[in-house]
Amino acid sequence: MQMITRRQLAAMAAAMAAMGTGAAGAQEMPPHERELHEAARREGEITWYSGQYSAEGSEAVGRAFGERYPGVRCNVVRSTSQVAFQRLSQDNRAGVAQCDVFSSTDFGHYSLLKREGRLLKYRPVNADGLLPALRHADPDDTYQSSFIGLYLLAHNTRKVSEAEAPKSWTDVLDPKWRNQLAVGHPGFSGAIGIWAVQMRKMYGWDYFKRLERNRPLIGRSSIDPVTVLNAGERSVGVAVPSGSTLLSIERGNPLRLIYPTEGVLATISPSAILRNAPHPNAAKLFMEFTTGPYLSQTVRLLYGESLRPDVPPPEGSRPLDQITLLAPTQEEAEKGVPEVRELWRDTFGI
Amino acid sequence: MPDTTIALREPGPAARRTTWFGRLRHVEPVTLLWAVLIAALLFLVAFPLLKLLAVSFETQGSGAFTLANYGTAYGRARYVEALLNSLTLGLITATIAVVLAVPMAWAVSRTDMPGKGFTWAVVLAAFVMPPYLGAVGWILLAGPNSGFLNLAWRWATGAEDPLFDVYSFAGLALVIALHSFPLVFIFVKSALDLVSSEMEDAANILGAGTWTAMRKVSLPLVWPSILGGFILVFLETIALFGTPAIIGIPARINVVTTQLWQFFEYPVRVEVAAAYAMPLLLITVGLIAAQRLVLSRKGFVSQTGKGGERRPIRLGPWRWLLFGWCAGVGLFAVALPLLVLIQASFAKAWGRGLTLDNLTLRDYRLLLFEHEMALTSVWNTIWFSGVAATLAVGLALLIAYIVARKLVPFGEALGFLAMAPFVIPGIVMAIGFYAAYAPPPLALYGTATLIILAFTARFLPIAYANSTAAMRAVHPEMEEAARILGSGRLHAIRHVTAPLVKKALLGGWLIVFIVASRELSAAVFLVGPRTRTMSVLLYDLSEAGNFEVLAAFGGILLVITMVFVGIGMKLVGRDFMLRRT
Amino acid sequence: MSRLQLRGLTKAFGTLTVVDGIDLALEQGEFISLLGPSGCGKTTTLRMIAGFIEPNAGSIELDGERISSPGSVLPPERRRMSMIFQSYAIWPNMTVAENVGFGLKLRKLPAAEVKRRVREILDVVQMGHLAGRYPAELSGGQQQRVALARAIVVKPAVLLLDEPLSNLDANLREEMRFEIRRLHDEFRITTVYVTHDQAEAMATSDRIAVMNAGRIEQVDAPHMLYTRPRTRFVAGFVGRTNLLDAQLRGDEIGLAGFALRGEGVAGIAEARQGPVLLSVRPQSVRLHRAPPGTADGRLVLPGGIAGRVYLGEAWDYQVRVAEGEQQLRVAAPPSQVHEVGAPVWLGFDPEQMALVE
Ligand SMILES: Nc1ncnc2c1ncn2[C@@H]1O[C@H](COP(=O)(O)OP(=O)(O)OP(=O)(O)O)[C@@H](O)[C@H]1O
Ligand SMILES: [Mg+2]
Repeated sequence: MQMITRRQLAAMAAAMAAMGTGAAGAQEMPPHERELHEAARREGEITWYSGQYSAEGSEAVGRAFGERYPGVRCNVVRSTSQVAFQRLSQDNRAGVAQCDVFSSTDFGHYSLLKREGRLLKYRPVNADGLLPALRHADPDDTYQSSFIGLYLLAHNTRKVSEAEAPKSWTDVLDPKWRNQLAVGHPGFSGAIGIWAVQMRKMYGWDYFKRLERNRPLIGRSSIDPVTVLNAGERSVGVAVPSGSTLLSIERGNPLRLIYPTEGVLATISPSAILRNAPHPNAAKLFMEFTTGPYLSQTVRLLYGESLRPDVPPPEGSRPLDQITLLAPTQEEAEKGVPEVRELWRDTFGI
Repeated sequence: MPDTTIALREPGPAARRTTWFGRLRHVEPVTLLWAVLIAALLFLVAFPLLKLLAVSFETQGSGAFTLANYGTAYGRARYVEALLNSLTLGLITATIAVVLAVPMAWAVSRTDMPGKGFTWAVVLAAFVMPPYLGAVGWILLAGPNSGFLNLAWRWATGAEDPLFDVYSFAGLALVIALHSFPLVFIFVKSALDLVSSEMEDAANILGAGTWTAMRKVSLPLVWPSILGGFILVFLETIALFGTPAIIGIPARINVVTTQLWQFFEYPVRVEVAAAYAMPLLLITVGLIAAQRLVLSRKGFVSQTGKGGERRPIRLGPWRWLLFGWCAGVGLFAVALPLLVLIQASFAKAWGRGLTLDNLTLRDYRLLLFEHEMALTSVWNTIWFSGVAATLAVGLALLIAYIVARKLVPFGEALGFLAMAPFVIPGIVMAIGFYAAYAPPPLALYGTATLIILAFTARFLPIAYANSTAAMRAVHPEMEEAARILGSGRLHAIRHVTAPLVKKALLGGWLIVFIVASRELSAAVFLVGPRTRTMSVLLYDLSEAGNFEVLAAFGGILLVITMVFVGIGMKLVGRDFMLRRT
Repeated sequence: MSRLQLRGLTKAFGTLTVVDGIDLALEQGEFISLLGPSGCGKTTTLRMIAGFIEPNAGSIELDGERISSPGSVLPPERRRMSMIFQSYAIWPNMTVAENVGFGLKLRKLPAAEVKRRVREILDVVQMGHLAGRYPAELSGGQQQRVALARAIVVKPAVLLLDEPLSNLDANLREEMRFEIRRLHDEFRITTVYVTHDQAEAMATSDRIAVMNAGRIEQVDAPHMLYTRPRTRFVAGFVGRTNLLDAQLRGDEIGLAGFALRGEGVAGIAEARQGPVLLSVRPQSVRLHRAPPGTADGRLVLPGGIAGRVYLGEAWDYQVRVAEGEQQLRVAAPPSQVHEVGAPVWLGFDPEQMALVE
């Protein structure tokens, strides 16, 4: 992985040494994984619809999975979460099963899928090692936590000084930010949908009407504003993912994260195996991979949050226990995201 | 004459004895083939469209008849606005394309302008460049605050406001026009090529100068081609998905294609999407009808005949002005977007500009060696496009043949069916395919077969137009000469007609291949995880806003395309893409 | 049994009947021309014979086998015919030899045999030295010869030609006319030749079928057509003629101001009494400065030169007959010069006159 600095490499090596997992070969696999691996190998591959990690991150996860479990290839189908869900719905409508594991930042998707009976119940053994808050995403075990996304504000330090920069979610509504903001789209990004539900809960829809008056540049993914900030096209990004922003900073872009005073939007989102998954064993193995230390080790190098106490959080990210986390409930998300999507389109015209 | 009948059966009493056998002898065996062809056309074109029509009247789930889908599709101001946006966008884009292309076509065809080869290369390059790549290039060029052009403009003039904002209606139209003007160019140039100099001479002798002769004689003579090009660009524009998604969303311009996409969000509302697409079909059909009406009244330059003697018009110093125009179009359509894309593809962070410490091969390495899907999608693209091009050209040739030789009474209807996808936005076509063939019994969703079939249907018109032109160039007597000497129809096609149209067909194949290899809108609803093409993967990549990877992947796509263009030039002649197709 | 027999052959495109009940029989080895003005249906007839067009009514028989009738058309490739097209239709992707050998290969002849026959026929049409050329490298006349060779080499049952010479210049056309006739004399292939040029038809054909508006007006040997036209159309179309309104009374043909004995005039036997049309060929009238001594019982009338045109090969005089209003065109050799207004005597030769319908 070309984007790893030497410092990170050392940190990673240290972490691995501490846990004794290393670049694990098959022989070091715990028995439950080895068993699943055997079965998964016969299936040969797994198809993963993912909107959770960045394109780079998802590819890295897919590769790491393939390296840890030789003979099982991971087909990474990375898109924004709503598009991933759209694909899943299209598959369903066409009566075709293509997806094994579905990962979305819009956790409202899961209550819907679960209610429709489209998820496979599976409790990964490794899930017991997750952070306590993540251990039981679903009491019925139809889905498991696989992603902590932190969404906050960021600014281009060349265009806006730290002192001038907005401090809170409501600061960006100030008319002085007209034509300076960038944001993703809830019709595409799951996280932006969750964020919009949360903002509406806190400030009412008026928040977005005022935001509209500032004419933000609307991308699709929540990562789009990061790109826009890098280029200096806009100076403040709204609801940008911490991971992509930190990665971008590491690459030399003049960005800085802002932790809004009200708190950071946290989407703790799960992954689930589809009931009609064409490769059920590989899918179970993938869930073991996700809940085990392997995924966290992989994504933290790209500044993704770790899901486990035994894998340190990424560098430059504030530890989770030091920040206020904002998030709607799952019910609020399931009901709210489709609503805010429509409202958004009415308000922003797109 | 003793050996008159060398190997032909001497008609004996046997032929007369059994009447049905005698009749059978009089039936051409290839009749069966025509039946198969008709079935193929129905499968590829008619059925998906009829299915789309039927679905638009169905209630989701129960399938009961309803008009509610139309109510839903047009019940909201936003949806209607998207339709109007598309139409306006189509008109503006087509107008810009005509303005860009007609002077170039005139210059290349009729004048002594220098640098015709260069102009030709510009047109070809603009044609080959996938529109969504151009769109990304233009975001890098003309983002209001960060685009290189706007930065340069501010630096040079000290102005506050950007020179040009790509995130605007004008920006969207210009970017699309810069990649669709070659269609107008091809049409108009080939028509101008048929105007004999004597037409202009006749005007000159009556006292018209070069300028007047061009305005009053040459251009009016090729008016149908200009109109044809205009309509084609219009249709291309309203069918385009990638560019509106990439530029239109930030510019807050919702168009038909992005709106159709929304109908595919959960819960997938194929019924509403189908209803929403119907008026679009009516509009395009109306356009074509209007064109026919306008053109039927006057005589225009013959599209088939050879012009008389042709001399380039001497322009004097004006020729440099024209050259400047062509070079300008080349700069904006090809050179600048390509340069920024190349820069971005080799950059660590494209916003930091061209410095040594910003250079990296990271993204190429990622795509070529690490990305799990990138190479697979390259391979998918090549073989899907190749098979689709082969199918389309094969089918088109046979249909063009049936129609040209009037072998079936309703040949015109076949021709119409083969041309129909031309007026159907690719995304509508894809929805039709999704509705018709994605679910059981065929359950082709996500398979290579479905994508190939969709590509075949979508580009059948290109192949058909190409084949018709090729067939027209072969005098029917060529084939009749073979038949009367004892060669059956298929034998005559294989040994006489096919060799004569071989080059034209190869050219047609390559054009279909190239446009299929960059097709997004027909593919985006139909691909499965392992059947994604480069264009879809590019679209997926564009969702994550990583322009460096995107640019690098675009670079790979362009290299592949150039290889095939190169092959085409080698085999068919360098103007193979620019012949009227 | 005739080799080729057309019976009541009819073809209509939509409501327009372009071939209207044609009957024609060709004997083995016969050369017949279809002669007629543009649009009279010659090509359509020929293409029906070839099997490219299905008739609406009537039939075509080849050696007694019915090969075309409404609803049942034997495809062209099974008809043992060959055809020469107006465009020549020489395949540009094949050399001269390949073009000519095409039909032979189809007949699955051994390669050596094909080669031999191609060489032979190319020598016959004087194209032997150009066997390896491509059509684009040939002149129009040479292409025409290739087309001839290609059609003849397979020794077809019937050879069809559709205005094969119309794309050639005048001299070449004349040369090729004789070439075609020479080849016919050599191979004696039953031939149908379509043309609108009467000289061409006369030079090549055993018999000529004159067509007008989809019908055959008359089928006859060239000299018979000329001397014994049966219809007004044929008389006017084949050569120039004076068509005079006349009255047939018994054996006498009465014209404006004078009468003529009908003996020896063609068609007199079949003609009805009463008003008739008399065709008088310009060549059948002789001009004399003085009343001729011996008239051999022929009619001689006085008249005057009303106008004249010198055509090089002949004089074309306008002569007014003294009695009555008749004006006649008369052809005379270049040496016979009469000034306009000069008095002349006209001597009529009944052998070259005909009563037509
Ligand atoms: N496919 C067709 N559809 C309709 N009308 C046709 C068709 N082919 C020929 N005709 C008409 O039939 C008539 C006879 O045509 P044909 O080609 O047989 O004439 P032709 O005697 O060969 O004339 P020419 O000497 O000019 O070649 C013409 O009036 C022509 O317009
Ligand atoms: Mg003709």
